[in-house]
Amino acid sequence: VDVRRSAGEPGRVAESGASAGAGRRRVGTRIGCGLIVFAAAVMLGLSVRNGMENTAGELNPGARKAWATFDRQEECIYHAIRSEVPEGATVYIDDAVVYDAQRLAELSTSWAVPQPSPATARWTLSLVPGRACSGRSLEVRHR
Amino acid sequence: VSRALLVVIAGLGLPGILPALAVARRGPALVFLAPLMGAVMAAVAAELELGVGLSLLTWYVVVAMTANVAVVAWWLAAGRSRPQAGPPWAWSILTVVVVLGGLIVPLTGLRAGIIGYDGNAIWLTHTLMVSGGHHELLTGLRSAAYTFSNPDYPPLVPAAGALAFALVGRGDLRVAIEVTALLNACALGVVGAGVAAVAGRGRPLSRLAALVAAAAVCIVGFSVTGIYYAVGGYADLLWSAAAVGAVVWGLVLPRSTQALGIAWICAAVASVTKNEGLTTALVVLVLIAFRYRPPAPSWLRRSREQPASRGLQGVAVWPAVRSWAERAGFVVGPALPGLAWAGLARVIGLNDAFFTSSSTESPASRAGATIHGMAPYLAVAPVALAVLVAGCYFVRRDRRRARLANPAWLWAVCLLYLAIIFATYVLGSPEIQWWLHTSVARTTIFPQLLLYTDLAIWLVIASGSGAAETAGERPEAVPVGVRTDA
Repeated sequence: VDVRRSAGEPGRVAESGASAGAGRRRVGTRIGCGLIVFAAAVMLGLSVRNGMENTAGELNPGARKAWATFDRQEECIYHAIRSEVPEGATVYIDDAVVYDAQRLAELSTSWAVPQPSPATARWTLSLVPGRACSGRSLEVRHR
Repeated sequence: VSRALLVVIAGLGLPGILPALAVARRGPALVFLAPLMGAVMAAVAAELELGVGLSLLTWYVVVAMTANVAVVAWWLAAGRSRPQAGPPWAWSILTVVVVLGGLIVPLTGLRAGIIGYDGNAIWLTHTLMVSGGHHELLTGLRSAAYTFSNPDYPPLVPAAGALAFALVGRGDLRVAIEVTALLNACALGVVGAGVAAVAGRGRPLSRLAALVAAAAVCIVGFSVTGIYYAVGGYADLLWSAAAVGAVVWGLVLPRSTQALGIAWICAAVASVTKNEGLTTALVVLVLIAFRYRPPAPSWLRRSREQPASRGLQGVAVWPAVRSWAERAGFVVGPALPGLAWAGLARVIGLNDAFFTSSSTESPASRAGATIHGMAPYLAVAPVALAVLVAGCYFVRRDRRRARLANPAWLWAVCLLYLAIIFATYVLGSPEIQWWLHTSVARTTIFPQLLLYTDLAIWLVIASGSGAAETAGERPEAVPVGVRTDA
């Protein structure tokens, strides 16, 4: 602000001061906006990069092969249940591995009727080591 | 994936297109909203299958036809007198292309062929039950042999999967998993379209920033979830993204009938996807009700009362009753599918597995473990808080000029959700370390996505700062029946 040139005009001094203040505020706002954009862009960018790396990690040939094997195994067990157990049969899942027991219950659904106890079941199902379904085989016992 | 895409587009999207069009008009959200609308109708069909009888497909046809006939009737009766304004076609198409681009990148993860633990144990099991018809569904959910599958979980994901089996057969169970992943993407697409809408009719830089931010938010949704949960058949991203969509459209964007409708559909999706989705949807819907129907301060109420009616209690009470009834309708209406399922589950004897007995661990130790378990997943919170403070200081006026809501609404949802989840972990019965280990990565998806979305919104506002000061950028006219924001 040129104070000397406007010394005799108080109105102009106030006006210049106000415009200088507004200018400073504008610069401050621009810096603030820049900081907001920078912080948000960095956080979003880091998360995007993390997601890309995560996806790429799951798409490596080893991981894809493992999931394809698991998928084939599921499909094989699903069809084995339908071919070895009559439709509507009451079954008891007797598998010590919790996940395998849950998978057998899931894959029996809408074909056989899983029972909470062996007393009410006519058939017993479990997964054992074998070659039939990618390293596992369905074991079916009639009670 | 092509068969899952066919199911999402033809099986869910086509029956949902008219209802979605009635709500979203020609906005970019329409593309992503239609399959979600179809999925809600499938969930309602599954509820009817369980509660009344018959099969999912029969009820789906009935529900879809009823919804579409109702929309056509509404259009014929009132459509011509209603303004059908929407964003320009070019902008809508560009937004859809960019958001789709953002979604396709993480969806390449589908090539990995992941089937997650819950994807198998819970969601595929329920899908096969729904697919088996009324008797199979009822006896299956009630059977103690299926307790592991959380039988009280809501039916949207199983219903969409069972619809896929009905349309393309049960030859490959993975199709149901892929449909869930595509619905996750649709929900994120609605969030992305909401972020893009923040720029409104701002200057080009702001609109470009909005498009980039919209695509980024879509990728971030998959990123915070992790590809295993995002494409492995889990329902957590679906309800979380739908709830974030409800927040963006209902508690951030300017008030309009279009935004309100989209928010309601998103809330309905969240409410029939998971139990925590229903709780969160109710929180969001209550806040939306208060934003759209704010209670008048007592001094204003008094000044509005006519001197002649001051002594008549009935006359003075009636507007208040009507106002509260309206707010209740704002909450119960969209949450009805979720509330109906919760009621149906209780009636047939399905209970929540997490509060069956009291824990032997002290609440203090559970609280400490919960804080310790959740903290790493909320690393974005300090930055989001700093950006909130900076945004409120530097671009508060730009936000107000763009008629966006006060950020307190979004943060209130976030804090309320965190409080509810914290209380659930502290008061629930499962052993806390195991519970946190198996779930905290998923229960924190919603707050993470919400805070990243808030960052994206501030980014768009800050990049267009000062734009609204130019002439000709006045706030848009508010649709009939909706008050302007404050």
